[in-house]
Amino acid sequence: MQCPRCSEVNKDGTRFCKKCGAPLTDEAMAQDPIAAAASRRSRRRWIVLVVLIAGALVIAMRRRSAPTANENQPASPAPTVPNVSTDDVVKLGIAYGTEKQEWLTWAAKEFAATAEGRNIQIDLRPMGSLEAAQAIVHDDKDIHVWSPASALYKDVFLRDWADRHGGERSAANPIAKESPLALTPMVFVMWQERYDAFHSKYQELSFPTIGNAMSEKSGWDAIAGKPDWMFFKFSHTNPNQSNSGLMALVLMGYDYHGKHAGLDGRDLTDAKFQAWMQTIERGLTGAASGLVSSTGYLMTSMIQRGWSTYDVIFVYEASAIERLQQANGRWGPLRVVYPKYNMWNENPYYVLNVPWSDARHRKAAETFLQFLLSDRVQQQAMQHGFRPANLNVPTNGPESPLVKYADTGLQANVPGVFCEPPKAEVIENLLLTWQRSQTR
Amino acid sequence: MVCFTLCGCDRRDETSSTSKASTASAPSPAKPQPREAIELLFSYGSEKQKWVEDVTATFNAEAHTIGNGKTIHVTTVASGSGESKDDLLAGRVKAHLWSPASSVFVKLGNAESMVKGSPLVGPTKELVLSPVVIAMWKPMAEALGWPNKPVGWSDVIAMAKDPSGWAKYGRPEFGRFKFGHTHPEYSNSGLISILAEAYAGAGKVRDLSVDDVNSPKVADYVGDVERAVVHYGRSTGFFGRRLFEDGPTYLSAAVLYENMVIESYAQPMTVPLVAIYPKEGTIWSDHPVGIVQRDWVTDEHKQAAQAYIDFLRAPAQQKKALGYGFRPAEGELGAPLDAAHGVDPLEPKTILDLPSPEVTNATIELWRRNKKHSNVVLVFDRSGSMQEQQKMIHAKAGAIELVKMLGSEDELALEPFSSSVVSLPGAKMSDGRADTIDRINGLVPDGQTLLYEAVQTAYRKVSADTRSDRIRAIVVLTDGEDNGKRVTLEQLLKEISGGREGGTDVRIFTIGYGQSARLDDLKKIAKQARGEFYEGKPENIRNVFRDIATFF
Repeated sequence: MQCPRCSEVNKDGTRFCKKCGAPLTDEAMAQDPIAAAASRRSRRRWIVLVVLIAGALVIAMRRRSAPTANENQPASPAPTVPNVSTDDVVKLGIAYGTEKQEWLTWAAKEFAATAEGRNIQIDLRPMGSLEAAQAIVHDDKDIHVWSPASALYKDVFLRDWADRHGGERSAANPIAKESPLALTPMVFVMWQERYDAFHSKYQELSFPTIGNAMSEKSGWDAIAGKPDWMFFKFSHTNPNQSNSGLMALVLMGYDYHGKHAGLDGRDLTDAKFQAWMQTIERGLTGAASGLVSSTGYLMTSMIQRGWSTYDVIFVYEASAIERLQQANGRWGPLRVVYPKYNMWNENPYYVLNVPWSDARHRKAAETFLQFLLSDRVQQQAMQHGFRPANLNVPTNGPESPLVKYADTGLQANVPGVFCEPPKAEVIENLLLTWQRSQTR
Repeated sequence: MVCFTLCGCDRRDETSSTSKASTASAPSPAKPQPREAIELLFSYGSEKQKWVEDVTATFNAEAHTIGNGKTIHVTTVASGSGESKDDLLAGRVKAHLWSPASSVFVKLGNAESMVKGSPLVGPTKELVLSPVVIAMWKPMAEALGWPNKPVGWSDVIAMAKDPSGWAKYGRPEFGRFKFGHTHPEYSNSGLISILAEAYAGAGKVRDLSVDDVNSPKVADYVGDVERAVVHYGRSTGFFGRRLFEDGPTYLSAAVLYENMVIESYAQPMTVPLVAIYPKEGTIWSDHPVGIVQRDWVTDEHKQAAQAYIDFLRAPAQQKKALGYGFRPAEGELGAPLDAAHGVDPLEPKTILDLPSPEVTNATIELWRRNKKHSNVVLVFDRSGSMQEQQKMIHAKAGAIELVKMLGSEDELALEPFSSSVVSLPGAKMSDGRADTIDRINGLVPDGQTLLYEAVQTAYRKVSADTRSDRIRAIVVLTDGEDNGKRVTLEQLLKEISGGREGGTDVRIFTIGYGQSARLDDLKKIAKQARGEFYEGKPENIRNVFRDIATFF
């Protein structure tokens, strides 16, 4: 089908446009803010019409009836659209992945100043994606909305919820509504000088070539005749604690097997794949002392410690955009390279349908969601390096970081193959496989 | 141990160069506080002391508040990283925030704390960074090929093992190669030095294992390097200041932080220092700060602590850190982080991979077995006046601390003096520790104070021991002035200034214990013999002895 935003032709059933990330499936489109807004407008028109007719009928009928003791009573008020009572402040707990912390914190503050925002107290709770899923499954009553970095955890969550609350996955879906908030793909971020040397030997930067570089016993001496750069240093976050780390493993799986959907158990148990993954994972910087638990922190670390500690890291495009200037000032320019097999981190906003969340919470969640998807707020997301979910906001204007920093390798139209999130069982097996690779 | 009350002396180990009433390790001066205040105690590694004291004064003056309106007031306590960890774990210091010099200590602290079920601190953020470097005198570094040739641990280590010293590089006038690093159990840079030695001994730059550390090859290697160490010490600041003051004849090189090299340019020096970034790799001192997870830290404290952390990491304070020679956690680089100050902001090019706590602890054990051993004479005043104010009881307790802290290969000879000087034979701690403690306990105060004669006797005894691979030192504790008149101060000073070469100087630590002690004379003796002077009181004498023990 053709993408409504950039007109790229995508395979049927793809959730997001492979070029620009716009939502494509019916489900995703249903969450599309433009379409949703349009249908809301038409519904409102209907209701107003009904109200007017009803009101007119009531007035007409009262005029005909005999005067009663209650003649001076006002006409019964026209039925209104159900609204949150102005006396009631709804406390809305949002568990979210920290990569969007700055943007969300800003948005929540802005929201509080709006008319609707006055009755809704946004309680932002930064949490790791797996952590948040676990908390909700175990009935954490302070969470009404969950927004992890990507959809990787959705299936695990649904399955765990069903297990704990009885019934099959299809019954009583704990997710009432979902919508992407802001998107970012994965990238390799490497010091330009070291990238040039790497590129001379391997021509491309990918998991397989990184695996080769890590296998070189004498490190950079063998790679590029640079013995004082010592061994090749690559890292990503801890897959158990951070979405980007898990993404690294999933995309390694897809890259190795040359597929973009349906990563399965057989792929994971492949002995050669396991050996290959182990080489990379055991050689990561921080493998012995502990991988970093947040993507933002990994990017900051790269800026602070420079090439002494990391030649290249695997993070969100948004993390790289936030730090490009700083890096240049400290050590030198950075290079951004998109992996051959990629996946969108769409920061889905899941409105929860759980026993401790009622209609007021869901309404509040919806209200905040619409705010987050509004043009101004989406534009601000771009300042934090994200690509907007709102199709009205373009990504290729002159102020867009993707255009401003194009010389680092950033591109508005992301090259490569976009993959689908694997099933819960596969995610878990992958994490187990990874854990095994870490034991020494 | 935390040095709250070692005041009023010229002790230079952790203080800034000016002596003041409140020293480095005393809490920041009390100010009249607004009625409703939330008090925070910040325990931190003394490497960043100047910056912390500077910005904390600003923070307190600005009267920041928490949600309920209470004003935040921060008291800071500087100490060695290892000490602050132990004090926090034991609950001796009830700090609300902790910032050791490196996340190595956070890992060690959290691991030890997890035995009780919870970590010591919550998630941490960096305040400032500074890489560990080998600080060396510029002409010596040039003799090794710096900056045109990569220089590293292996070069330093080779020099350490070579008795011909600098002559090998065509500079015989520099003498033997003399090296120094801090005590790894108390100080971050010391810990990193021994990790680097272990890595070099194992021929690796990553994946150091417990097996590697326990191999005879690595043990021999570490032993060889440590032989070139002049002595250990409590803090990097201490070594830095010794380097700055005593010049190239004292040490050829010391393991310090980059910021200390920059700091050296603030004073006039005949020979400049430069930072060598070891080619095999080094480690970042990343000054993590975290909120302590213990029951004395309430939610209010946590709020206040977070506000203080945010302040420390804000642009104005980060810029100040740069001025003190640190690489800020946030913000740009610039002067004085440049070649004019002996450093290179594009270094380091590579790091040593930090090992796990198990391997770190194994390396510390390895070092204890293979470190440079010591030969100490304890010159102990047992004159009649020691009877007063419980001085004797506390002094004995302090001396026993010192005895307990020595390694099994170290030797201590007790030399009690009053109207006469009794020079007892030295005892190796492996079999003589208990006896030595008994002897100390058995001392009875009575008689005069033949101070200078006692020091002279000790000096001659120690000098007679020609084993060149030992740290040789004298610790003198006295509460009064010399009234023996057999040896004058001038004579003594002249005698103890001999024998500078070979890195085997006999160092003298003097403790002025009590009001009658002639502090100036004791300071002169310590300075002449390149030791340290301490002003001791019954309340702090144990800490003084423990501080001295980190030298060995």
